[in-house]
Amino acid sequence: MEEYPEELRTPPVALVSLVGCAEHHALISSYLNAERPPINTLALPDLSKIVLLLSKPIKSDPLSGDNGGILKKDWLLKHRTRVPAVAAAFFNSDHVSGDPAQWLQVCSDIENLKNVIRPKNIKLIVAVVQSSANDEISEDRMTLMRKRAEIDTKYLVVFNASDDLQLKQSLDRLGSTFAELANVYYKEEGLKVKTRVEKKSFNSHELNVRCCFKVAVYAEFRRDWVEALRFYDDAYHILREMAGTTKKLPLIQCLVQIKTVAEQLHFKIINSVIAWWKGGRSNYMVSASILFHTGGFSKTITGNSNIALGTADLALSEWEFQPAYYYQFAAHYLKEKRTSLDLSLTMSETADEIDRNAESVVPSIYVGQFARLLELGDALIMQSLTDEEYTRYAFSERKRFQDSSEITAFLKKAYETFTNLKAQRMACFCGFHMAKEYFVAGDLSNAKQLLDGAVLLYRQEGWVTLLWEVLGYLRECSRKCGTVKEFVECSLELAALPVSSDSGIQSFRRNECGPAGPASLAQREIIHKEIFELVSGETRLASVEVAFHEPMIKPGVSTLITVSLLSQLPLTVDIDELEIQFNQSECNFIITNSERPSAAISSGQKGCRVENAPLALNTNRWLYLTYAIKPEQSGKLECTYVIAKMRPHFTICCGAESPASMEDLPLWKFEDRVETFPTRDPALAFSGQKAAQVEEPEPQVDLILGAAGPALVGECFTFPVTVASKDHAIFSGELKINLLDVKGGGLFSPREAELFSTDSHHVELLGVTGPEGEDESLMGPDKIKKIQQSFGLVSVPTLKDGESWSCKLQIKWHRPKPAMLFVSLGYFPDSNESTSQRIHLHKSLQIEGKTAVVFSHQFMLPFHQDPLLLSRIKSLPGSDDLASLPLNETSTLVISAKNCSEVPLLLQSMSIEVDGGIERPCTLEHSAMDILCPAHLVPGEEFKKVFTVIPEVESSSLDLGSVSLRWRRDSEMEVLSTSAATQEWVLTKHKLPDVKVELPPLVLNREVPPYAVLGDPLMYLIKIRNQTQLLQEVKFSLGDAQGFVLSGCHSYTVFVLPKSEHTLGYKLVPLASGPQQLPQVTVISARYSAAFQPSIAASTVFVLPSKPQFKTTDIRDNKLEPFAAE
Amino acid sequence: MIVCVAVVGHQNNPLYIQSFTEADDALKLHHIVHCSLDVVDERVNNPKKSGLTLNETFLGLLYPTENYKVYGYLTNTKVKFILVTTDLDVRDADVRNFFRRFHAAYVDAVSNPFHVPGKRITSKTFAERVSNIVKSFGLSSAG
Repeated sequence: MEEYPEELRTPPVALVSLVGCAEHHALISSYLNAERPPINTLALPDLSKIVLLLSKPIKSDPLSGDNGGILKKDWLLKHRTRVPAVAAAFFNSDHVSGDPAQWLQVCSDIENLKNVIRPKNIKLIVAVVQSSANDEISEDRMTLMRKRAEIDTKYLVVFNASDDLQLKQSLDRLGSTFAELANVYYKEEGLKVKTRVEKKSFNSHELNVRCCFKVAVYAEFRRDWVEALRFYDDAYHILREMAGTTKKLPLIQCLVQIKTVAEQLHFKIINSVIAWWKGGRSNYMVSASILFHTGGFSKTITGNSNIALGTADLALSEWEFQPAYYYQFAAHYLKEKRTSLDLSLTMSETADEIDRNAESVVPSIYVGQFARLLELGDALIMQSLTDEEYTRYAFSERKRFQDSSEITAFLKKAYETFTNLKAQRMACFCGFHMAKEYFVAGDLSNAKQLLDGAVLLYRQEGWVTLLWEVLGYLRECSRKCGTVKEFVECSLELAALPVSSDSGIQSFRRNECGPAGPASLAQREIIHKEIFELVSGETRLASVEVAFHEPMIKPGVSTLITVSLLSQLPLTVDIDELEIQFNQSECNFIITNSERPSAAISSGQKGCRVENAPLALNTNRWLYLTYAIKPEQSGKLECTYVIAKMRPHFTICCGAESPASMEDLPLWKFEDRVETFPTRDPALAFSGQKAAQVEEPEPQVDLILGAAGPALVGECFTFPVTVASKDHAIFSGELKINLLDVKGGGLFSPREAELFSTDSHHVELLGVTGPEGEDESLMGPDKIKKIQQSFGLVSVPTLKDGESWSCKLQIKWHRPKPAMLFVSLGYFPDSNESTSQRIHLHKSLQIEGKTAVVFSHQFMLPFHQDPLLLSRIKSLPGSDDLASLPLNETSTLVISAKNCSEVPLLLQSMSIEVDGGIERPCTLEHSAMDILCPAHLVPGEEFKKVFTVIPEVESSSLDLGSVSLRWRRDSEMEVLSTSAATQEWVLTKHKLPDVKVELPPLVLNREVPPYAVLGDPLMYLIKIRNQTQLLQEVKFSLGDAQGFVLSGCHSYTVFVLPKSEHTLGYKLVPLASGPQQLPQVTVISARYSAAFQPSIAASTVFVLPSKPQFKTTDIRDNKLEPFAAE
Repeated sequence: MIVCVAVVGHQNNPLYIQSFTEADDALKLHHIVHCSLDVVDERVNNPKKSGLTLNETFLGLLYPTENYKVYGYLTNTKVKFILVTTDLDVRDADVRNFFRRFHAAYVDAVSNPFHVPGKRITSKTFAERVSNIVKSFGLSSAG
């Protein structure tokens, strides 16, 4: 398209002329140019030039304005570049004030200039150039000069370039004078024309328009945008009335001229509006110039500008500020123009003729007019054209012009801008138009790319009609490219679009539709048939749903699977064969169409299951096919593809979908139709999955965990694990052993264990031993054997059917607590590990860890001896209840070990050992000999051992050491289940509590014979030993006893000397036989206020009725000898 | 003159689109309606910029295009009503009135118990009613 010339595109700038003194012109020009508003200068070195410049146009106008032109092409240019508003004559001051000859010259110059510019009403400025500050011009000369020039005083300017300040002032003055006079000039010129316009004294519309245009341009020179707009608008309206009324040109050319002028006026209108908005400070907006690249959209623009002017509140929508909007428009109008042109071209003559006729036609001097240029000798004559000639010329011009690329360029810009604005639909629309251009131009790859983008959007948003159109183009693209697959895809999609007569979509007229034709049911059917013929039978299965009826399947057990097919094609479709493929290929099966037995196609896979079913797909109705399959392998069983075969050459492979995850079909979901479920069972439609889990095969192996009996703390508990194969051979078997804390639930981690005990875990896996007779070395280096404290991994040797293997786990409990033992066996039933599946078998057992032996102890004092232990008397509540032992006295310690387990135990030895081997400050010894042969201890039985203790130092806490007991299970009872490993003696230690050792101040000894004889007197001695350095006062009393007669005082107070003993002696005569209570004695120490009374049990004596007769046996000669006790 | 009216669902899918033109530009009108959704989006996403108040359903002039002006209306269920007209000089009140009646017709149509929300509106009654509203557009104010 034609570019508008510079003078139209930029706002007019006032033009002034500088004459004479050329050395200052550059300076003044640049100053004026930088003014706001700028002023252009026409610098002429001497006077003769301006005469030449201004006299030139006089001879123009050969055809005169009456020949029908509206605007002359060069009028605006002339006023912008050749006709100055102001002429400034510069004279040197020495010329002005010089000799008479020079003065005369000045005068004549002014006169000449005046003569030239006066007729054109050009304003005059006279400037006197002072090159130095000393130059002084006489007042008379100045006045004379002003009079000569017939100008106001203020238009006679002194230009002083001697120094910067003066120069600045001179320039300022000159600038303002120029601006003022230029304004005056344009105003006067405008007014002249304006009065004509207002008088309406025109005989033709052309002149009227021209005058309005001129007024507007003059207003623009003055930056009076409002007036400029008004007159441009007037001109435009007059122009509209002109159409058809003027007879000066042939009709077509007349219209063309009007159109061209109208465009130009519009361009000016819009630019003025914008300049007005922007305060006229910048050049016209870019968008505006883009706007007018193309012609023809006068109406809308007028509408818009009217809105803008009328309401003045910028009622434009935000999109109208987007350049993309205008790019799109430009493209649109170019396209419309091309459409009509193409139409005209097809109706006109052949191309050659057009070309020949179009020669030598040039634009005439009027805007929008064309003429033939004829050479007659040297002269050039413009000959007007007939309409026919013009049309040919116009066509030939059009043919040279590449509309398509221009349109594409505009659309591309719009497309990119809209994309950046995230206006995807508008971008898509532009993209689609671009694609159409590419399509027409044969650039199919570009077209396809854009169409694909559009298809995505329309498909997503369900704009069926638009999708139809785009798909139609895509289909044509693929047809032209020869890509059969895409063609088929597009055709199928077209055929499956939800377009039907009752879908509420209007049918479009044929010529509006894309290559796919009108969107209608009939057209869908046509496409469907077409594609059928092409591929000799096929269908697009719009949906394939596969649902397993059960989510978990056992291997080898058949399960049901439903395959549902839905076709959205308008016609019923017959499938020859349907192949259902799974990720486990042995499950694949084929369904052949039972109604078309001839169509059976030999499948490539031999041995595949073949089923028969009617395979006719009705439109939008699900076809259900339910079959049983029997998976063999465990793991995931997933239906991957459903392949439909139609005739030998056509195959459609559909990815299977789960009904549960199925989304609505993007396009049909908006349609008002009855929803159907893809499976018969509605529940399955919501939950059905295309994949199912096949369980592992049942392990045909027994894993036997042996002893269930409780383990005993401390012992190395042996736990037999037996792997017995029943039906499966075992390859690469692996036993995993885990020990779990029952209460905590977690594994025994070493760190956790350290928190509790420093030595090790509560329960610890010590090791695994193979079956008896199997050498460790036989297990081989490749066998896995890994033992940790709570985890073990043992490899199981290859076992044949029926064989068994066992091993023993050695577990040690450090504390009594239950533990859970998990044993899992993993194996392959097959020697080929890659094909067979690993089978896992788990067993668990809770084992109680129990304490085997419970210890107890008891301290005893010697018979009938009672030390006064002060700490026992004065025991404070809360103080440690340690047992107190008298210093240097013999005490008895009885230690008993009770078997609290459920198995008999065998005890080897019991001893008291000092921890750390420190010398003990007391004597500890057995009273009896050690157990030589192990003692059997049945459950619940107690074993006791007596030790004597003689403390040798006084101590508040004396460490007695700990009891060490060596024991083991009584293996004779359980020799089968527990093997030699248990033969080791288990050492259990029990720490004895500390004791307190103190010196008793008083010790009371009672001496009574072991028995008495009725009637025989006996001595009952009570000895009170004072072990202190003090005199001790002791009160005592003796009560009566029924069985005795006694002599001696009943109560008395004695004083026992330090470190001495006092003996109280009574003679008793027993009066009755049997166990008799001795007289009750009470001793009270006054110093310690402690009373002592022996217990009843300790003060009983047996009275024999008569003197007994004993026999002693000599071991050596087995001879019983009578022994008489004394 | 109204050349096209449309109801667009909240997923920007057409629920009802009807053109009232003799010229062969129905498909073009579909494009115009579709493109106008961009402007609706823009308005909705930048309510401040477009001066849209919170409860205002009428979106006003969406954009002028070629020979048409496109007006929009957005319900609070994100259903859009689009109007395409060839009139250059349209009174705001007329358009508002039109949309109000159109909205009422839509509400009645979707209140039909046999209508599934989100599906295309195929009701003939609705089509008839919309056609009447379109015919009477601008008449009330002109009279």
